[in-house]
Amino acid sequence: MDTDADGATDGPFDDALTPAVRAVPDDGTVEGGVAGPGPGDVTELTGPRRTLDPGIQVVWVLKGVVPSLVLGGIVGVAFALLPVGSPGVGAAVALVAFVLSAVLSVLRYRSWAYEVREDSLYLERGVITHVRTVAPYVRIQHVDASRGPIERAFGLASTVVYTAGSRGADVSIPGLSPADAEDLQARLKRLAIAAEGEDAV
Amino acid sequence: MKLDPLSIPYRAGESVLRLAWLLVVLVVGSAFEGAAGPAFVVVGGFVVAAAYQVVYYQRFEYELTHDSLDIASGVVSRRNREIPVGRVQNVDVSRNVVQRLFGIAEIRLETAGGSSTEASLKCVSLAEARRLQEEIGRLTRGEQSADAPATDREREGLFAITPKELALLGVVGVDLRLLSLLTVVLTVLAPSLQERFADPLLGLVITAPLAAVAVVGLTASVSGALAVTNYYGFRLSRGADELHYERGLLQRFSGTIPMEKVQTLAVSENAIARRLGYASLAVETAGPAAGDAGQQSAIPLAERDRVVELARSVAAFDRLEFERPPGRARQRYAVRYGAVAALVVLGVFAADRATTLPFAWYAAAVLLPAAPVAAHLKWANLGYDVQPEYVVLREGFWTRTTTVVPYYRVQTVLDSRTVFQRRRDLATLVVDTAGTSGLTGGQPRALDIDAERAADLRRTVADRLQAELARRRDERRRERIRSIESAAPDAAA
Repeated sequence: MDTDADGATDGPFDDALTPAVRAVPDDGTVEGGVAGPGPGDVTELTGPRRTLDPGIQVVWVLKGVVPSLVLGGIVGVAFALLPVGSPGVGAAVALVAFVLSAVLSVLRYRSWAYEVREDSLYLERGVITHVRTVAPYVRIQHVDASRGPIERAFGLASTVVYTAGSRGADVSIPGLSPADAEDLQARLKRLAIAAEGEDAV
Repeated sequence: MKLDPLSIPYRAGESVLRLAWLLVVLVVGSAFEGAAGPAFVVVGGFVVAAAYQVVYYQRFEYELTHDSLDIASGVVSRRNREIPVGRVQNVDVSRNVVQRLFGIAEIRLETAGGSSTEASLKCVSLAEARRLQEEIGRLTRGEQSADAPATDREREGLFAITPKELALLGVVGVDLRLLSLLTVVLTVLAPSLQERFADPLLGLVITAPLAAVAVVGLTASVSGALAVTNYYGFRLSRGADELHYERGLLQRFSGTIPMEKVQTLAVSENAIARRLGYASLAVETAGPAAGDAGQQSAIPLAERDRVVELARSVAAFDRLEFERPPGRARQRYAVRYGAVAALVVLGVFAADRATTLPFAWYAAAVLLPAAPVAAHLKWANLGYDVQPEYVVLREGFWTRTTTVVPYYRVQTVLDSRTVFQRRRDLATLVVDTAGTSGLTGGQPRALDIDAERAADLRRTVADRLQAELARRRDERRRERIRSIESAAPDAAA
C-alpha cells in the first residue's frame, strides 16, 4: 500500500548520506540497556515494520462505551422533554454510536504500523486522516512507557516519545505488550544516545 | 551579587498596587470614616511589603560563573538554581516607566524547557543588566570573557524603524476579516434593524459598509496607538553571532537572540501590507509558547524586498521560487466554500421565514459567486520551495506567512491525508520544529500538495536533516583536531 515500507534510504539523496548513528562505545555511557542485544552495533536495534497487539482493539472498543452512553443519554433526555419522539431514540443513538466506534477501533488497529529504522522512528496510522510521521532519533528528548487502567487490565502498554517540537507527545505507540514496550523504550533510548544530539532543539 | 537596592521600594510598591482591589473593597464598604482609613491601609501595606522585600533582597543572590548563572533565592522556601549558559535561548531586558525613573531594569532568561520564563532578576541596575546581557551572549558563543568590554559598539545596525513605517504599522494592524464580516452581516440585518426602529436616523444603517468602515477606523486608531507604544524607536542590530533589538515608548524592551538558537524565520504580510509592498519578519527560537507578544518580532514592518534581504542575512536561503499545489486543490476549496456559502444563504433564508423580522436573505447570495474567487485566492497564496539547506512554506490569504525552515532544525516531519484529500489524491506535509510559532500560529506546512510528492518530500526532509547533522558532526571533529594540532606546538615550546 505504501512505497515507504522498504526503508529510509529510498529518497533521492541516499548516495550522499551517512546514517546519523555511530557505534556506541562500550564504556558505560549506556546504562541499563535492558533486553537489547549487546552494545556496539545499533543496526541490531532496528527492526522490521511492526503492527500493534490485536488486543488493543478490545481496549479501544471498550473506551468507546462511555462516550456512546453519554451521547445516548443526552439524546434520550432531550427527546423525553420534547413533545415528539420517545426516549427510546436515545438507546438507538447509543447503539449506533457504539457500533461506529467499534468499527473505527478495528480500522484504526489495521491502519497502525511502526518501524524502528536506522536513524528515525517511522509511524503510520489513522482512519479518517492517514498520517505518516518520521521522528529522527537525534530529536528525542525522552521516552516513556505508560499503562492506563484499561490497558493494564488487558496486559498492554504504550511507548510515548517526546520531542521538542510543538506537537510534543504526538509520537506515541499504543498496544504493545509490556515486555515489548520496555524493549522499545530501551532500544529508542540507546538509539537516541547513539545519534549524538547536541541540544536536540 | 545582589539585586539593586532600589528594587526594594519598587517591588514593595508593586505588591501594594497588586492589592489595590482590597483597598477598593474597603473604601466601598467604608469600614473607616473619611480618607484617613484608606491612607492608613496604604501606608501600613507599604511598610509590611517593604519589610518583606528587604528580607527578599537580602536572601537573593546571583552569580554568573564561566558556564552558568547561579541563583539562590527565596525567603521561606529556598531555591538554588544553576542555569547552564549554553542552554539560554534569549536574554530580555525590560524597563517600564517607573523602572526607568529609578534607573533599574528587569532581566528575563528564556530556556527551551518549561512553560514560562526560566529566571527573572527584578531588578538590577541598568549597567548591570547590560553587562549580564553582554556576558551571557559572550559565554554562549564560547569566548573568554571580559577581554574587550563594550562589544555593543561593534554591533552593526540592521534596521531602524522610520516614523512612516510606524504610522503604516497602525494601518496594517487592522484585521481585514473584521471588515468583510461586518459588511456582510450588516447588509443582511439592515431591513430588520430598520423595522425595529422606525427612525429616519437609522436609514444610515442601510449604508452598512460605511458603518463597517467606521468600526475599522476605530480599531485602526487603537492598533495604531499600540503599534506606536510597542515599536517606537525599534532598532535591530547584529553583533558577533547574535541579534539585538530595542523597542518601546513607555516600556523599553531590549533583547538578544543568539543566531545559534534561531529555529525558523517567518515573513508575514497581511492583505493590506501586501498591497502596499510591506512585510514583517519574525525570528522564532525554542522557548515557552508566545509569552511576550512581539518578543520574537525581528522587524515589525518594512518594505518586502528589504525584509527578505534581511532574512537572508540571518539564514542564507536562495531566491524564493514557489511551487503551487495542483489545480485540483483549488477545486477542493471551491467546493468547500461553495457548500459553506449555500449553508449560510439557507440559514438566513430560514431565519427570514421562521421569524417575523425581515432579513435581506438575498443579500447573502453574494457569497455564492464569491466562493470560487476565495478558493482561487487561497490557492494562489499557497506554495512551497525546496532548497538545498532550507524548505520554505507559504500559506494564507488574509495574512500570508512564508516560513523558512532549515533542515537542521526539523523535529518531526509527517504527511497526512484526510478523507477528502484522499479523494483528490492530495496530502499535507507538516514540518515541525521547536519554534514557538507564537506570531505565526500553527506549524509550517505545505497544504494540499500531490500525495506522491508529499511522501517524497517527507523522505527528502528527513534525509537532508540527517545529511546536515553528519556534515556538522564532521565539521566539529575537524575543528577539534585543528585546535589540538594548534595547541601542540605551544606545549612543545
